[in-house]
Amino acid sequence: MKLAPQSVPYRALQKVAGIVVVLFFVVNDSGWGFPAAAGAVGAVLLVAGGYEIAYYRRFEYELTEDTLDIRSGVISRREREIPYRRIQNVDVSRSVIQRAIGVAAVDLETAGGSSTEGSIRFVTPEEATRLQREVQRRKSAGSTGSASDENDAVGDPTGPVEEDLFAISPRELALVGALSFDGRLIGLLAFAGTGSVPVLSGYLPETSALALSAAAVVAAGALFLVSWAIGAAVSFSNYYGFRLSRAGDELRYERGLFRRYSGSIPTEKVQTLTVSDNPAKRALGYATLSIETAGYAPGQGGEYGSEAAIPIARSGRVYELAHEIESFGEPSFRRPPRRIRWRYAVRYVLVVAVLLGVAFAVDWYVAAEIPWYAPAALFLAVPPAAHLKWKHRGYWLGDDHLVTRNGFWSRSVRVVPYYRVQNVIDSRSVFQRRWGVATVIADTAGTGSLVGSDAAAVDFDIDEATDLRAELGERLQRALRDRREPEASFEWLEGEPAARDEADAKGDDADPAGPDRVAEGRDASENLERDEDSERDEDLDVPDGVVRPDFSTSERDYSEPAERVDTGEYAVDRFPSDANVAHRPETERDGSDDRNDSDDSSERSDGGPNDPARDDVSDRSNR
Amino acid sequence: MTTQRLHPRVRIVWILRAVLAAAILTAPVAGGYYFGYLPEWAPVATGGVLVALGVVHAILRYRQWSYEIREDALYLDRGVITQVRTTVPLVRIQHVDSRRGPVERGVGLASCVVYTAGSRGADVRIPGLTPDGASDLREELKRLAIRADGEDAV
Repeated sequence: MKLAPQSVPYRALQKVAGIVVVLFFVVNDSGWGFPAAAGAVGAVLLVAGGYEIAYYRRFEYELTEDTLDIRSGVISRREREIPYRRIQNVDVSRSVIQRAIGVAAVDLETAGGSSTEGSIRFVTPEEATRLQREVQRRKSAGSTGSASDENDAVGDPTGPVEEDLFAISPRELALVGALSFDGRLIGLLAFAGTGSVPVLSGYLPETSALALSAAAVVAAGALFLVSWAIGAAVSFSNYYGFRLSRAGDELRYERGLFRRYSGSIPTEKVQTLTVSDNPAKRALGYATLSIETAGYAPGQGGEYGSEAAIPIARSGRVYELAHEIESFGEPSFRRPPRRIRWRYAVRYVLVVAVLLGVAFAVDWYVAAEIPWYAPAALFLAVPPAAHLKWKHRGYWLGDDHLVTRNGFWSRSVRVVPYYRVQNVIDSRSVFQRRWGVATVIADTAGTGSLVGSDAAAVDFDIDEATDLRAELGERLQRALRDRREPEASFEWLEGEPAARDEADAKGDDADPAGPDRVAEGRDASENLERDEDSERDEDLDVPDGVVRPDFSTSERDYSEPAERVDTGEYAVDRFPSDANVAHRPETERDGSDDRNDSDDSSERSDGGPNDPARDDVSDRSNR
Repeated sequence: MTTQRLHPRVRIVWILRAVLAAAILTAPVAGGYYFGYLPEWAPVATGGVLVALGVVHAILRYRQWSYEIREDALYLDRGVITQVRTTVPLVRIQHVDSRRGPVERGVGLASCVVYTAGSRGADVRIPGLTPDGASDLREELKRLAIRADGEDAV
């Protein structure tokens, strides 16, 4: 497939417009006259146009069975294949000009790397939408048994039905603007403002201290108002016409006033959900939901504060939507020990003391009569602040999710499925150890964690933290097992316990290779106790000739050099690293991420149009 | 596998690093002395205190550092000022490096780096291994990661 033809002049102009204008004025003013300036500009435009024509001719993309291939590059060529399964988000954006000339930019994100992996500039909006839908359709065709599959199997070319989840109302949009106050802006403006203080003070040599402090108060108020107005304007234009819908196993959003964004977030790829609010939103009963994937948080690409999936909605609605994406139940948080409030109190007292010190130093330095002791009033606020900080902390272990809560001014509730946990970190600083507490962080592959917004249970008793860490590890293993044994978990969830046993027994009878297969599957996935079990009755379960890897971890101390014999033995004989090759097909099938019954999917695939692709992709991804 | 300690010689690596850091931090003070702003004892005292701190830190760090491979995860315990305990589930291991820096080569040690897809603890480094120990650990972790054979979850 080719790009849209009108992208050629647009790209050329986009690249050289700035240079052209500067060049024109420079040449025109330097005495060469208008013809020379026009000539230079023309030459630059010609070169740019030529390059873009070549780019257009070279650029080709193709939707193959299981990859999206992009061939591009004029001088250095590049061919890139992106497997559908690895695509995290597909985003389409259109600025005002792009909308006017009818083109759209498509960005495909995968988890690897920090930059966008596939960037197609520009295609027609219809083609962009088609790409988005097609990638989604082929991706879900790859992972069998997903909800949208049923639609595909019937041969619906437009993909699954789109179901509206949320559309922003004008009232909510106004609220987003009003409530999206960002402290960072104040900092920025204050920084710019202080730069002008020395200049101003030159004009006001003989002002009284009172006037000075009054001016400071007015300036702070103005600063507040301006940053508020800017924040409101930015979020208004960001979230204008926001709409979130669900299509099969994918969420789609649309937003933007000047620059229109639309994108898709596969629910499969969601790493964490964050529900955040602040005191104002809480008072009005509103909250924000953001969804994080491993690619990036949608719309985050260098933009200002627009990563939210749902900018604002009634908190009840937000939780309802969050549950629709990850059903995490009703959290009831465990709070840190009460004594930890003293820690926060001490911290705040120190902060106020430092403020007092600074105020005093300023007062002493400028020899003005400003009331430097004013910050002492903040001491009154310390106890409630410490209490509130404690009150809004907590964590909760759900059936499949860890939910943490932190912060009073901007409170965020984070939902992390155990399955998404990458590693668990338990850290205790010197001060925390003094209070006998620790912080447990569940790290995921989401990008929000880069800016320090992990799901963290902060300041819990050391014993509790240790337990939590162990528990998280265990629950991850359990989640993995559940994923690997789709049959068992499927039956168990759907049917009565008794019915499940029956079904298991039936399955074993029906399948000649049944018992062996079950045993092997478990061995590959379950942990040590299980292995010891099956090793004991090895004779019963395992037919001859099947490799039985020994899964016990070795007792070796790696800080000592290896003995030659030892290494050779376990690397080659005792623990061959490719030991599970023998039952590779089994693990492969079990390891694929279809939660549903695989018998079911094989039945269904009889009539499905995407059969070969489906098998191919799931094979490939597990290799 | 029981809890493993690092090779004692790793303290030399850390102390050398601390000395280097102390030298860099002392340089401005030494400059101050050179240009006559500071008395003679200032750079000596700064350097001495920094080196002493570095040595104590290195020794405490060695005492604190331990790691363990259990059946489903790699456990690490480290850190002097902030103690950090990390659990890296073996399923989540993306790849494993063993590497040797110049200082490490000097004292005949190596380290092993374990990468996950996580964003905060994306790479975990186990220093103070013998070269053979490091490559064995790498192989062992590779073997265990293959055995665990999970999906990426990304």
